[in-house]
Amino acid sequence: MKKLFTIVLLIAFALLANMSLVSADMHGWWADAAAPYAGTTIRGVSESTPPSNYVADVLAAQFTELTGINVEFETTSWDQMYSKAINDMEANTGIYDFVYIEQDIIYSYLAQDYLVNLTQFAADNPDLAYEGYDESAFTSFADYFKNADGDLFGVPMEAFVKVYLYRKDLFEDADIMAAFEEEYGYPLAPAESFDQYADNAAFFTAYGESMDMDLWGTTVQGSTGHPASTYEFLETIGPSFGLYNWGINLDAGSAQSANGGALDGDTAVEALTFWLSMLPFAPPEATSSTWDEVASSFAAGRAAQGWVYGENAAWIATDESRSAVTGNVGVRLPVTAEGVIDAAAMGDGYIGYYDGGAFGVPHSSRNKEATLLWLQFIGQESVQAEWAAAGARITHTATFDDPLIAEQDTKVDGYYTLLEEQGPLFAGAPPFPFHAQVREVIDPFIQRAILGELSAAEALSQAAVAVDEELERLGYGM
Amino acid sequence: MRNNSRIGWLLLSPTLLILIVFGFLPFLYVLFVGFNEWNIFAAEEGLRFSGLDNYRRLVFDDDFTTSVQLTLKFATFAIASEVVLGFLLAQMLTRKFPGKSLFRIIHTFPLMVAPIAVGAIWRLLVIPGFGPVPFFLDRWFDIKYQIGSFPEQALLTSIIMDVWHWTPFVTLTMLAGLSAIPREPVEQAKVDGANRLQVFWYVTLPFLRPVLLTTVFIRIMDAIRTVDEVWMLAGGGPGTRFTGIYIWRVVFPRTDYGYGSSISLITLYLTVVLCWLLFIAISGRRKGEVE
Amino acid sequence: MRQRVWRFLLTYGFWVFMTALTLIPIWWMFVVSMRSRVELFSRPNLAISRFFVENYTNVLTDSTFQRYMTNSIVVSTCNAALVMALALLATYALSRYKLAGRDNIFFWLITNRMAPPAAFLLPLFIMFTRSFRIGDWTLFDTQLGLILLYCVFNLPFAIWLLKGVVDGIPIELDDAAMIDGAGLAGVLRHVVIPLAAPGLAVTGILSWVFAWNEYLFAANLTSVEARTITTGLAEFVTVTGTNWGELAAMSMITLIPSAIIVIVAQRYIVMGLTFGAVKE
Repeated sequence: MKKLFTIVLLIAFALLANMSLVSADMHGWWADAAAPYAGTTIRGVSESTPPSNYVADVLAAQFTELTGINVEFETTSWDQMYSKAINDMEANTGIYDFVYIEQDIIYSYLAQDYLVNLTQFAADNPDLAYEGYDESAFTSFADYFKNADGDLFGVPMEAFVKVYLYRKDLFEDADIMAAFEEEYGYPLAPAESFDQYADNAAFFTAYGESMDMDLWGTTVQGSTGHPASTYEFLETIGPSFGLYNWGINLDAGSAQSANGGALDGDTAVEALTFWLSMLPFAPPEATSSTWDEVASSFAAGRAAQGWVYGENAAWIATDESRSAVTGNVGVRLPVTAEGVIDAAAMGDGYIGYYDGGAFGVPHSSRNKEATLLWLQFIGQESVQAEWAAAGARITHTATFDDPLIAEQDTKVDGYYTLLEEQGPLFAGAPPFPFHAQVREVIDPFIQRAILGELSAAEALSQAAVAVDEELERLGYGM
Repeated sequence: MRNNSRIGWLLLSPTLLILIVFGFLPFLYVLFVGFNEWNIFAAEEGLRFSGLDNYRRLVFDDDFTTSVQLTLKFATFAIASEVVLGFLLAQMLTRKFPGKSLFRIIHTFPLMVAPIAVGAIWRLLVIPGFGPVPFFLDRWFDIKYQIGSFPEQALLTSIIMDVWHWTPFVTLTMLAGLSAIPREPVEQAKVDGANRLQVFWYVTLPFLRPVLLTTVFIRIMDAIRTVDEVWMLAGGGPGTRFTGIYIWRVVFPRTDYGYGSSISLITLYLTVVLCWLLFIAISGRRKGEVE
Repeated sequence: MRQRVWRFLLTYGFWVFMTALTLIPIWWMFVVSMRSRVELFSRPNLAISRFFVENYTNVLTDSTFQRYMTNSIVVSTCNAALVMALALLATYALSRYKLAGRDNIFFWLITNRMAPPAAFLLPLFIMFTRSFRIGDWTLFDTQLGLILLYCVFNLPFAIWLLKGVVDGIPIELDDAAMIDGAGLAGVLRHVVIPLAAPGLAVTGILSWVFAWNEYLFAANLTSVEARTITTGLAEFVTVTGTNWGELAAMSMITLIPSAIIVIVAQRYIVMGLTFGAVKE
């Protein structure tokens, strides 16, 4: 009897010890795996956005404590980030051990073979593969960072879609609703068609003027000194009319409709015409607005509805220190032309842009092993929820079900649910190996169309010709 | 004048060394790249010798020629205003009045602000929505001021910004020049019955000419290279796409190194020619004095 | 008497007006630096409603910012010192010795300041990261790299400025000192430097200010260790909302050191900027 008791006790002890061993094991795994690299410093470059600030301030410190590997962050502006990362990787200097890869530049990087195949690298170094890190736990967004074989080249760290935001306090105000219905003959509601969008925009602009309020009917990301305007047209407005992949036919190597492209086609002209017609209903800063000023204008209550990047939705809806419209933000899918949503659901096209970024390891890095550990650390399930709450970004399927996010979701009018359920309707940038080059070529034409120097049709037909010339020069032409 | 030129070269050597390593070698590199087709995101990797193709392309590049015109317009208007304004202010500062040095110090302030901060300040002043300039222009004069919508306004704003930033420099050099003018010729001219305008035209101006030309020279060099402040202000939109910014766009976002290099060289060449003419004007004057 | 009153009013009226024009943009920056992010988009108001110092405390207590500040101070000061020394030697050589192609050298020196910066970043980047490499050490992301590079822009200007000054010092003074037994160093120390002091001071100040304010090269040729304060300014311009308040606060802080220098050295600036135009 006594013996049995002892055995039970022993087993219990063993179990207990084992349990504590498990957590020590977790701890120990990082320390053991990182032992050869303790004391090294890895360096990355990123823009100073809330998600990457969270990585720099919180996750990097945790990682260093666990492994003894130091993580240094260079934060810089968006324009600078690319040129610095590209310079480094092209010259093979090895300044950065990990770089921020915005979704739209990934294909250019892959085409130049700048990045380490993370799946392959982890398989080749089983000692470094952390079991709590699982590539299949990512949302479908991670697919944009994979090659044809399904190997991953970047660990997603932020993801969002560009949504339609509207001011609930205005759209649900009884007097305003009555006035709208009287004028237009149908009830005021968040826009579901372009005509309705235009009516809303015209109505609220007139309303703002009559009430002497700083209020306009829509946002337009129409900066004439920044690529942001081209992006809004090609990534949001174009697709919602059915203009996909910038109207460039990669097989034909052309953007002109005569050669199989679509940039100067009827759909594109229709889309640009509509977008330009929204300018008079946008606040006066629209023509100087990049994505960040659009978000600021909306947060300041200067627009009744608009297209705003989802990464901003959370702070606009909740952060009182920065936004004057907290609690009044409605979130919907962006307006689309008839049939576009159905086509997208069938996998035929998309309704807008699924944006975001990942961290990848350049071949030029001299600390690939340590960096792999770091990327697995930020890619593991357990750190996701708090990071998501702090940075309004979701990269793991499971994060959607986290209580923290569920709570946040109600405050942001279901943005996260929208991201989870309708996310697949959106798509990343077209798989071009020449992203920035061709966009630079299109920019001036879109800008001149905004200024009214060119009509929509002129701008797009000239842009298509210029794109073809650049494709030719780059060796992707006809 | 000493003949022991070895010591002379020795004294000059550290300067030459630095300038050759960090100035001339990069120049050679750019010269070489300018004769090649090189975009790192092209289908075919690496440099391909293309002779003068880049230079041929540049002649027909509307964006480039427009940018040169804009830059010259910007430089001309900005520098002309700075010189006139700077001279007036310097003239006022040669008089004695209480509080003079305070005014002078305050007037020097903008010179010390970093160009990138200058751009930020002016952006904050003129962007509709939070800038006071469009707000008050609209309220008092009913003028629509949107630098994003009207390229001329963007150009005008960058000129005004440049005048704000650099007039103090002109004032200071002019002041230095004015205070170094000997008194006797001026007195003599007055005794001879010259009026103020004549004194200015026949005495002051000839004395000031070297300083004036030198100042203009320096301002031209810097105005043509302007990037930071205009970049911050308007991002280089249609009204402000100056050559410096155009080059930046071609070299960085577009990674067209070959073409970017050839544009840079042409721009450098134009600047050198412009300045060489001025330089001859200056040193010609000097020689005249010596003879 | 009446005329004097008018003149008095006119002078002061003019200067008050000019001062207002000069200060309004800076004042506006100060106003912005005193606003929280929500307040920014209210209707423009040139008055300060309350002292919101969080922008300043946020910036000042940030260790990254402190590092940037130190870097800027070290780079600007060393560069100014180096430029003063080299420019003095170079101008003395150009002024006193018969060197073949002197005028051409002088002009070539100046052309170094004319190059449009963007295209030259690439060769400089390669040079900084590859050519100057000793083991793991490279010139990239070091204070030394910036100090040397800024010479390319400051030396031409400095030599130009000093050339006239040194030319203006009579060579007989050199000779007299040499007869008294002074060597080259002695001549420089006892004759040239004292007489060229205002010119040297102004050279130093303007070089310092240039180095303090430079952005493009600092942004591209440094990464973490040697980043300067101006590159820090650009970090506030982000996708998720430019932080204008802190950007303005940082600009104000950046302004202070150069403002102090200007105030202290005001007298020398005017004395030194003659470019030797008028020989005394």
